[in-house]
Amino acid sequence: MKKLAIIACLVLAGCSGQLERGVVIEDAEPAPALSFTAADGQRFDLAAEKGNVVLVYFGYTHCPDVCPTTLSDWARAKRALGADTTRLRFVFISMDPDRDTPTLTQAYAKQFDPSFVGVTGTDAELDALKKRWSIAAYPEGDPRSGIYTVAHPAHTFVVDRQGRLRVLFEPGVRGEELAKDLRKLL
Amino acid sequence: MKNSRRIFASCCKLSVLALAALVGAACSPQEASPDVSPLEARSAWARPADSGATSAVYFVLGNAGQSSDTLTSVESSGLAATTEMHVSTQRGGMMHMSEVTSLPVPADDSVAFRPLGAHVMLTGLQRQLSVGDTVSVTLRFVSGRTVEVRAGVRQP
Repeated sequence: MKKLAIIACLVLAGCSGQLERGVVIEDAEPAPALSFTAADGQRFDLAAEKGNVVLVYFGYTHCPDVCPTTLSDWARAKRALGADTTRLRFVFISMDPDRDTPTLTQAYAKQFDPSFVGVTGTDAELDALKKRWSIAAYPEGDPRSGIYTVAHPAHTFVVDRQGRLRVLFEPGVRGEELAKDLRKLL
Repeated sequence: MKNSRRIFASCCKLSVLALAALVGAACSPQEASPDVSPLEARSAWARPADSGATSAVYFVLGNAGQSSDTLTSVESSGLAATTEMHVSTQRGGMMHMSEVTSLPVPADDSVAFRPLGAHVMLTGLQRQLSVGDTVSVTLRFVSGRTVEVRAGVRQP
């Protein structure tokens, strides 16, 4: 967070395509690398997703509130988009490797929609990921007790079809609203 | 680093969620009779979740009386390893969740437990919660009153 705190604020653009809820990152640059192997052996590599719009959320499966709210809204958006989702990917990344195995994370994501990708990594992989994406995620409470929460990024990150980190969505954007904006990005 | 700056700048630009948002209720201004509790939980629901996982219960807690009360604890029986009141908050682009041990419920008003705000957190579920199931939690107040919340399991 200290690293983030020293970063000066930049001006945001008005939304290209007039997104209603998404916040567009002006002069978006290529998204940082993101590559994990899911429990079923399928490799997810963001670099191979050019041409697709990719939604990314960093959370944890023991999250009772924000993470399931976000993934439920994703699922609702996907249903609202119907046949328009062939170029859309939804990726949930657990930042709680002590409790979330790849199997648990994948099963969790697929509870919301069978197409959702759920992956995690080792401590070292997630530390590297946090640096690349300039995000934070850390336990709050006593991890030794096994009962703790994890502070994690609030927003859904959207990588556009050109592979640029392009849009952020606040938590709580309803699926129908999300679908409207995603349709403009597809 | 440019990307980092943009991410952070964008997070800064986004509004901060209200903490434990209070919703005014259209409750009767009349004091309830002494033998009828003025406290009531309505519109209760719980998230589906696997056994061993975590779920949340949401509802609107109304107080139709002319005296405020304070919710001090939540319990469940045979449902979860731990049952706690929590609130989600957004600060600096991060989501945090913390336990709440005291929650006032003003007279003739109501408090909403809802996604991205206050909720009853069930950790270590002792059974799977499937859509259509019903779960019960007990709310305990400073006044000594209790409220039984029966929540249907459903998708939000």
